[in-house]
Amino acid sequence: MLKRRAFLNLSGARPAPANGYWQHISRRAMACRFEVTLPLGNANGVQVATAALDAVERLEAQLTIFRDDSEVSFINQHAAEQAVSVEPALFALLQCSQQIAAETGGVFDITSSPLSQCWGFLRREGRIPTPDEITAAMTFTGNDKLLFDEQARTIRFTQSGVKINLGSIGKGYALDCIAKQYRLGNALLSAGSSSFLALGRGAGNGWTVGVRHPEHQERRLAIVHLRDAALSTSGSEEQFFEYEGRRYGHIIDPRSGQPADRVTTVSVIAPSAALTDALATAFYVGGKELAEAYCAAHSDVLVLMVERGEAQPVLIGQSNHCEVEIIYE
Amino acid sequence: MNLTDEQKEQGRRNFLKVLAGTPALAALGAAVAARGPLKGGPVKAAVIGTGGMGRGLIGQCQKEFIDLRAICDINPKRRGAIAESMVKAGWAEPKQYEDWREMLQKEDLEAVIIAVPLWAHAEIAIGCLDAGKHVLCEKMMAKTQADCQRMIEARDRNKRILEIGYQRYYNPVYQASYNNIVKQGVIGDVYFARLVWHRNGNWRRKEEPPTANFDPSKYGYPDWEHLVNWRLYKQYSEGLVAELGSHLLTATNWFFEAAPSAVYCTGGIARHNDGREVNDHVYATFEYPGGRTATFSSIESNAFEDHYEMFMGTKGTLILQNEIEVYLFPEGNETLTKVEVTKQTAAPIADSSATRAADAPGRTVNAAATPGQIDRNISYKNEIAEFCAAVRTGSAIRGGPEKAMKSAIAVVTANQSAEKHVRLDIPTTLS
Repeated sequence: MLKRRAFLNLSGARPAPANGYWQHISRRAMACRFEVTLPLGNANGVQVATAALDAVERLEAQLTIFRDDSEVSFINQHAAEQAVSVEPALFALLQCSQQIAAETGGVFDITSSPLSQCWGFLRREGRIPTPDEITAAMTFTGNDKLLFDEQARTIRFTQSGVKINLGSIGKGYALDCIAKQYRLGNALLSAGSSSFLALGRGAGNGWTVGVRHPEHQERRLAIVHLRDAALSTSGSEEQFFEYEGRRYGHIIDPRSGQPADRVTTVSVIAPSAALTDALATAFYVGGKELAEAYCAAHSDVLVLMVERGEAQPVLIGQSNHCEVEIIYE
Repeated sequence: MNLTDEQKEQGRRNFLKVLAGTPALAALGAAVAARGPLKGGPVKAAVIGTGGMGRGLIGQCQKEFIDLRAICDINPKRRGAIAESMVKAGWAEPKQYEDWREMLQKEDLEAVIIAVPLWAHAEIAIGCLDAGKHVLCEKMMAKTQADCQRMIEARDRNKRILEIGYQRYYNPVYQASYNNIVKQGVIGDVYFARLVWHRNGNWRRKEEPPTANFDPSKYGYPDWEHLVNWRLYKQYSEGLVAELGSHLLTATNWFFEAAPSAVYCTGGIARHNDGREVNDHVYATFEYPGGRTATFSSIESNAFEDHYEMFMGTKGTLILQNEIEVYLFPEGNETLTKVEVTKQTAAPIADSSATRAADAPGRTVNAAATPGQIDRNISYKNEIAEFCAAVRTGSAIRGGPEKAMKSAIAVVTANQSAEKHVRLDIPTTLS
């Protein structure tokens, strides 16, 4: 139970309870649940949200590596042989990924799929790879394996065996896309309970989203009131396997080829959901130092992190688009 | 409508689901309701009829909207038990009356909630309206079209509010379904609705009379059996089509924006030939303008399907199950969209975590008691609160006797059709 609450980075009181109702329109996509939450009074909300969820399905069809006929699969099949022309929005997303990779010292890496594969996480069947398997997978990994031609809008891989996987940015990207394309008004968009994009101010003071405690599912670490901002969480509590008493999470450090284990959970708040998705993954791998370095160089990024072995979260950076209420046990 | 668990889950992903919790104010009428009773104080009211329905309604009364001062029932045991439970629930001990007329004379009341057997609705509602009281009367409105008409006339001559207890009008799930789905054309043109209320049991109630020599004959019931099982006798009841079907039919009239023009009904006493007069199995086909049809079945021999309204449109199927779950199945593709409705509270709408699988339960940490999730009692709560708001502020009620009369006429005509074994045109209302 809650014993003490501290208000950090707060501008004021919690929002007053509203009298109305929310409608939640949701659908399975990208192996998780996408959901649009709107005030019940938004009469055409179901229609617009349904159209937006249709768009998410189209994005999934473009981005997935789990279907051979997606654009990303086409790139993975052919970019080692020749430069492959890329749809403009996807090209922008790939470049954005490269930029984040550069800004996180290569910790964010959309080419780490061979590593995830050798650890068995792509099929959610975790296994311990041999050192040779890891070494082999790492030869295909690294953002420097991707060559872009901005003029021609093409991508090429430096060698065969390289594969891109947008799993750590695609959900947030999809939320950003539908927010731009559909007039959802005051809405909270979410994907997989890990990516949120708040449009407007919810019931008044912001869209209220909890941050689930990674080890105690019935508890919260914090409550966040989001206004026109995104929030993403990374952790390994949902996807991991245990072997000989040790726990292996699904997020792999591309620098070592080993599952990252410095952080228990990290949430990032920033203007775009693609960015928060990518940064949450990067900071999960890179820990507090990376988050601090990144926030020192970028404004409007707030990080809530629990490092392994620590009981309490720390806040790094700042955001004008939210208030965070830390819940202490 | 035999959905597998998987289909239900998929169907949920397409439409609306409403769950249990702790509701308070009305859905869209919340603002109206709040500014009413809060200013003028709770509406001074009494309940006539403390059987199952009256007890249920009292349980959904909120003290900030309604001041329940008195209760009335010809059964002293029931009204005593209700009075006791009200005190336990924090109400001042209500005055108890056997005679509603005496209660009207002695009590300072603004409004009356009526939950007596159907045949007595008109007499008591008109009496209360003529005494200057606003009336919330349980459905079905009255046993005959003439009685319905007289109730409306009494409302008009006394300039009082008369609402009939079709709580679906006050259910945010139905409001969302109509305003945000049907009216927006999400399921296209609807030519067929299937209305089902299936139970496996016996409608007959078993209850001991309050005293061994209890005599209800002065109230029109020859014996205790006819009082406690009034639903089974034609003098007092219009049977399953009225008690269950009229809810579904009224919702269909709402969603179709029309009333049925003809009906063919069959049925019989198939299972419980125990002296009852009303059918225990009924099957009715209601014809609506524009080539639209609604079928209603109510049986007492199988509960697999429970109760639902299913609207089958050219673009999708909308199912409202048990008044709380809603599923939407778009036509012609595998897309499955779920819509849920929750109450706005200060608690988080969702919880962020590592990415969870599509079938992960709940959107918040305490999914079993997620703040804001609502139960079907919300509709009764809203109904009473908005009725009180209407009394205080003159704000609009959602149903009203005109709509309720149309549904009542269709029910009565359906029963005539079953008796005559013939399709009957449904008379239009007199007004």
